[in-house]
Amino acid sequence: MPDDKPPVDILQGTLNMMILRVLLPGPANGYEIARSIERRSDDLLQVEQGSIYPALRRLETKGFVEASWKTSSTNRRARYYRLTRTGRKQILAEQSRWKTLVHAITRVMRPAE
Amino acid sequence: MKWKWKRHRPTPQDLDDELQSHLEALRQERLDRGDSPEAAARYAHQHLGNRTAIAEDVHQVDPWSPFANALYTLRMAARSVTRHRKTTGPATAILSLGIAMSVAMFSLVDAVLLRPLPFPRQESIEVIWKVDAQAGHYIEELAYPELRDLQDNIRDLEYVAVMPTSLYGYARVLQHQGREPVQIESAPVSHDFFRVLGVEPALGRNFRASDERVNAAPVVILSDRVWREHFNSDPHIIGRMIRLNGDGNTVIGVMAPGVDFPRGAGFWRPLGIDRNIVERRNATYLQAIARRRPGSSHAAVERQIDSLFQRLANQYPQFYSPSQRASVMTLPVYWTGSSRPQLWILLGASILLLTASVLSAGILILSGVVARRIELATRIALGAARWRILTQLAAEGGFIAITATLAGSALSLLALPLLTRWAPADIPRVSDAHLDPAALTFAVAAAILAAIVCTLIPAGSALNQPLEPVLREGSTRSSLSRSGLRTRNWFICAQATVAALMLALAGLFVASYHALSTADIGFAHRDTLTFNLALHGPGPFGAGTYSVGARRAFYNELLHRLRETPGVLSAAAILVRPLEGPIGWERDYEFAFEAGKQTDRVLPKANYESITTGYFATVGTPLLEGRDFNDHDVEGSPSVVIISQSLARRIRAAGHSPVGHQLRFGPSLPWLTIVGVTADARYRNIAQQDADLFVPAMQAQPSTPYLVIRGTQSTTELAKLVRRTLAQLDPSQAAAREATLGELIDANTARNRFHMILLLAFGAAALLLAATAIYGVIAELMSARRQEIAIRTALGSPRARLMRDMIRSTLLFAAVGALAGTSALLFLRDHLTTLLYAITPTDPTILLSSAAFVLVVNLAAACWPAWRAVDRPRIDFT
Repeated sequence: MPDDKPPVDILQGTLNMMILRVLLPGPANGYEIARSIERRSDDLLQVEQGSIYPALRRLETKGFVEASWKTSSTNRRARYYRLTRTGRKQILAEQSRWKTLVHAITRVMRPAE
Repeated sequence: MKWKWKRHRPTPQDLDDELQSHLEALRQERLDRGDSPEAAARYAHQHLGNRTAIAEDVHQVDPWSPFANALYTLRMAARSVTRHRKTTGPATAILSLGIAMSVAMFSLVDAVLLRPLPFPRQESIEVIWKVDAQAGHYIEELAYPELRDLQDNIRDLEYVAVMPTSLYGYARVLQHQGREPVQIESAPVSHDFFRVLGVEPALGRNFRASDERVNAAPVVILSDRVWREHFNSDPHIIGRMIRLNGDGNTVIGVMAPGVDFPRGAGFWRPLGIDRNIVERRNATYLQAIARRRPGSSHAAVERQIDSLFQRLANQYPQFYSPSQRASVMTLPVYWTGSSRPQLWILLGASILLLTASVLSAGILILSGVVARRIELATRIALGAARWRILTQLAAEGGFIAITATLAGSALSLLALPLLTRWAPADIPRVSDAHLDPAALTFAVAAAILAAIVCTLIPAGSALNQPLEPVLREGSTRSSLSRSGLRTRNWFICAQATVAALMLALAGLFVASYHALSTADIGFAHRDTLTFNLALHGPGPFGAGTYSVGARRAFYNELLHRLRETPGVLSAAAILVRPLEGPIGWERDYEFAFEAGKQTDRVLPKANYESITTGYFATVGTPLLEGRDFNDHDVEGSPSVVIISQSLARRIRAAGHSPVGHQLRFGPSLPWLTIVGVTADARYRNIAQQDADLFVPAMQAQPSTPYLVIRGTQSTTELAKLVRRTLAQLDPSQAAAREATLGELIDANTARNRFHMILLLAFGAAALLLAATAIYGVIAELMSARRQEIAIRTALGSPRARLMRDMIRSTLLFAAVGALAGTSALLFLRDHLTTLLYAITPTDPTILLSSAAFVLVVNLAAACWPAWRAVDRPRIDFT
């Protein structure tokens, strides 16, 4: 049975971060972003690719990315996203927060002494 | 490469395209790996995920929500409503009709009853006269000296003025710059009149006390209408002389537009310029209007005036009877007078109709939602949130309501001019009716509430049901429809109640109108043409105002010339023509057999008419006994009188023969001998039968300004003839208010006809709604139970019985409703009695037959789909 509230994606924050990171080298469309996340995680992270879109919209809304329609390398029209200036700054912030988080979680999770 | 980076909100179409492109990319990826196209497509869909869910999630992210949310929901609702147009279409149409009718009626009622008059603080303007319970239902009018009484004694009144109770006899002939003379109604008023109303002239000045002295120079204030129509809106009119009845009058002002009080007044002039009027306490033909001081109450003022009148009665027993009481009402009540109850009834009826249409639409929407339960259950099973479905359904209801409101308002905009043109002209301010924002708000609120309630109630019950049985049942919808059936049966019951109530109401008014239009009103010749002649001013028969002798000579000559003309059958003149309105002369009278038995002040009253010879033959009132007046009934010969049948009956009851009996108009007045008895006729109002007294014009003082003429020519030719003859005789005279007796009768029954037709239309609409609703419910029920019907038919169940089983419960609800509706009328009977003619509001034939009719129509509407279902049972093998 579905919950009354929409399911909260536990990876939401990290997904945002990953998308920003993937966009750092240059513009990419949704498909490329999803593939790139999968590839960079050595296919360990199998995202339901559609779920990147809400995240993309959220980033767009916050002004971290901007989008434009163009023709892709495979000659297909696609919406391309690129980082804005605030988006680039955001990656640094997210990265340091992530590091702190990972560090904290690792300390919590390490075997008891 | 130059890219145009956008930072504005992507549209749903953007997302759609984007997802499509993503899907294509995924598919291409698999195709490149050598998958089959099917496998590739499957992979792509799986990998991307549920597109609808994505769209919903993306939508949630939208920063423009809740605004965009609402818009989106509404758009989805519009799509869904269009998809289910088989139920939503009729529901919208029905709601629109209901809204249109009630909004139009509300606007009408609002214009007449609720909208303020153009006077500031109108509720503190009081209209004052007297009633005398012992003298019958007649009102007692005031005399000019009572103006001073009120001014000096009632501290709570800021301004007091007096005016005649009717405009009758105050028309003046305006001769302006060689144009054809026209009659214009005037209102003689005391000088504070406009201060009481709280209005000022738009041009020039108000009346002053100095304008109202005895023998003051004649001045007038023109109405805006007369100023525009007859003086071309001349801005330099102030101070000019105009000729009224041949006399010069100075225009001192032009009243502000919209001031039409008393109704039809073309100009106002000072009243108290004649010593005879100013000083005589027995010249009672006036009413007072007064403005209360701020802070005073209506009840207190009424009490003060009442006790003042009591004191005056003691002080002047020769003028006032001790049984006189004050009658004080506020101007709005006085203004709308008798049209109030009818309009309230019509408003009630239109609100009932709105209710009926809301119910009907509700039933349809309910059926629609019930039929969609599987869809809803499926969506829930697939993970849609319940609140989202509820919002969606409410939005659909809202969408229907908004559409219906827009369509309904447009319809009422179209209907309103029709209604106002068609409404009887004697309802004041009816032409001011326009689409009212308050009415619209009311209808919109009702429609939205109805739509939302009708979608949410079934949706709520649909959503709270366990999903599994709903889904398992699949297309056999029996339990689904059945659970909604009870609600719908109650709707049916309410519908039948409304329909029966409206139909019974319409039935009563139809019967009343029929009785009225077939009543013997005493005038057989509908084609008789009538005119008003304002006979004043210099002419060949004497200078100045006509003397009695000159006037009689004028009429004798006019009638003589008319009667001589070929094509004219008869012509006569009378004091006040039949059905001229509530105006006329009421006179005290007493017969010889009862003289002296009664105290002075409480003589009975009868309608008093002065007529020339040939009057009865012209209007077609039969003479039952005795003789008509003839050329020998002149001044100097014995005084004679003709009475109507109801008076003759009183004489006979006392054991005398009417013809030859005597009557007088007061103890100190001479006796008149009764020479004839006529059939009863209705002079004031078609629904009101009074006693009439006729005296010959040659023996009476009052004028006979109304001409009646009948001929073999068309009325147009006759009218031309009259105008021609009049012009030959005296070119300064004007003939006005041309109307045949038939037109006067129709105008008098116009209100009744208007109400009857409207109520009939409302009743028919309500019945149609009820029939549609029951048809819809039964049809839906049948399609839900067709499996059961098929099986029972196969097992040999008789069709009639099958049908009966199917519709019995619904019809039972309808029957209860129909009876309840007609019984509801019993609560209204006190209000209805005064509005109906010769019909009691509890007339069992009408009540029972309307209930029966509603039931029969419901039965037919239920049987039709039921019979179709049992006649050709279909089985779904799906």
